[in-house]
Amino acid sequence: MTVVAAHPLLAVEDLVIDLFTAREVVRPVDKVSYGLDHGETLAIVGESGSGKTVMNLAPLGLMPVGVAISLHGRVSFDGCDLVGLRQADLRALCGKSIGVIFQDPMSALNPARTIGRQIAEVTELHLGHSAAQAEARALELIKLVGISDPEARMAQYPHELSGGLRQRVMIAISIAAEPKLLIADEPTTALDVTVQAQVLALLKDLQARLDMALVLITHDIGVVAGCASRVAVMYAGRVVEYGPVDRVLVDPQHPYTRSLIDAIPRPDDEVGAPFRGLPGAPPELAGPVPGCAFAPRCALAVTSCSTDRPALVETGRGGVMAACPVVEQACPPGGAI
Amino acid sequence: MTSEPVLEVRDLVTHFKSVERGKVVRAVDGVSIALMPGEIVGLVGESGCGKSTLGRSIVGLERPTSGCILLDGCDLAGLRGRDLRTTRRAIQYVFQDPYASLNDRQTVGEAITEALVIKGLRDRAAQGRRVAELLDQVGLPASLSDRYARELSGGQRQRVAIARSLAVDPRILICDEPVSALDLSVRAQVMNLILELRRELGVACLFIAHDLALVRQAASRVYVMYLGRVVETGASQELYRNPRHPYTQALLASIPSADPRTERARRAPPIIGDIPSPTDPPSGCRFRTRCPIAIESCADDSPEMVDVAPAHSAACLFAGGEIAKSLAPDG
Repeated sequence: MTVVAAHPLLAVEDLVIDLFTAREVVRPVDKVSYGLDHGETLAIVGESGSGKTVMNLAPLGLMPVGVAISLHGRVSFDGCDLVGLRQADLRALCGKSIGVIFQDPMSALNPARTIGRQIAEVTELHLGHSAAQAEARALELIKLVGISDPEARMAQYPHELSGGLRQRVMIAISIAAEPKLLIADEPTTALDVTVQAQVLALLKDLQARLDMALVLITHDIGVVAGCASRVAVMYAGRVVEYGPVDRVLVDPQHPYTRSLIDAIPRPDDEVGAPFRGLPGAPPELAGPVPGCAFAPRCALAVTSCSTDRPALVETGRGGVMAACPVVEQACPPGGAI
Repeated sequence: MTSEPVLEVRDLVTHFKSVERGKVVRAVDGVSIALMPGEIVGLVGESGCGKSTLGRSIVGLERPTSGCILLDGCDLAGLRGRDLRTTRRAIQYVFQDPYASLNDRQTVGEAITEALVIKGLRDRAAQGRRVAELLDQVGLPASLSDRYARELSGGQRQRVAIARSLAVDPRILICDEPVSALDLSVRAQVMNLILELRRELGVACLFIAHDLALVRQAASRVYVMYLGRVVETGASQELYRNPRHPYTQALLASIPSADPRTERARRAPPIIGDIPSPTDPPSGCRFRTRCPIAIESCADDSPEMVDVAPAHSAACLFAGGEIAKSLAPDG
């Protein structure tokens, strides 16, 4: 597929994830393809339930205990297919070549262990450091993520830190083994805007220093604009638009992306003016949808939208791909590619 | 202003006992705000600034340490028991998380009827009619009254929570982050509902939020809180266009933009560090530890609110002068 061919570090191809709950089978990810180069940042944008988190964590074996899943398709990381890999092999990869930052640092950190120990643990496990080496490395990492008074912090417990500091600790843990790929799942959603700005600046800085690729999972378009070079917009388990940030955010093609960006309040909006948004609500997770999942909320939908699933195809606009036949017709290919 | 405020809070202080023995958490530390009838007023600040505690103190979910809360000029502190409960009914609270604020084992109808009973409406048929009316008011079909809260989406749940608070005919809604738990694409729907309720029922609203862009569009006036105090207030358009307190300037400069070109031009984060602990706030101006323009004398006295423009005031030594403008990170 054209989407993935050129990306040597991570290539996800036709990934389908089925989730078996006690009562039903749901499909949170439905034939998704994307890719990532070394050192590149890809943002994955979507609302809750769009499948953006499951899509990234399930192939790594990081699902809640008791949730049965089945994976189809190909997830190739650095030449190795993660689908079908044994749990033990995945564990060796996770934390070492692939770092993960979770949304809520309070629940991701161990409340009963000191910050220093939790960071040191990673380097002992993945880099074979001795306790003393690991301790020294942990101190280095605490300094690297910009935590003040590093020696004292080493001995503190997560509950003694603010949300912003906890997220910095989480980041230190995730980069402890200098991964090639960092997956950040809503890394700033639990933080205030002032602290968010600091954490995003830190992530960008670390990425450049360590030459990591970054997958940034977020629902906040503002976070995307500042950090990513490419973006995948997800709706109901599918990628609906994919391309360079400069194109997708400035001139969105898919009706869903358009309304998401249009919904952001602008400084020139009058006080008391109605908020722009979308009618209805995102679909519940369920089995495969035959047509376009966005059709019921789409102003441009035509009859075929509810029966035929639109493929993600080139729009002919600067490498942007969109899964919408209506948009395709409106701007036939042949423009600037 | 010609009319009298429907709600006035004067010098409100709400302190909590800290887990550390002998220490006090100064969550709200001398705040005065006013709400005119039918007005939407924003209350913004970082988490831990005391904005929710202020809201909760107004409806009586927390017990204020001192200060007064005047509803139509009548001090709630002078009321007890039944009188207090009846009077306070005029102020209702809409919570952030509609997944936590509704009982999953109640139907929508039961949840709303509970509020109607408190108001004294005991006739079954009349209750049913009123439930249908209230659901209609928040844009939900009457058929939803037999459904359980757990069967509803987040946006629908928040509408039900709003319908329930409207059941007792409030004059003031305190909306505490009413859309931050909701999906992006349904936020506008709930925000528009709040605007509509103001227009149609004349309900005043204290809109507590950390999303400054939402507040700018919804509220006619804004209070900015930092560490238990109001540091700046003004008409929202004026305040957003011309923020005078360095904290407000930093907050506004931190809002990420959806435009990649703007973001690429972004300079270093406007302020560093986190909000300090309210158990041990800095002396003098509480923002001085993170302030880019603080000078020595900022540690001495807590700055008073001074008028910087008509109906716009800020609590900063530099707010009136040019120094703040020239040194601020993003002017």
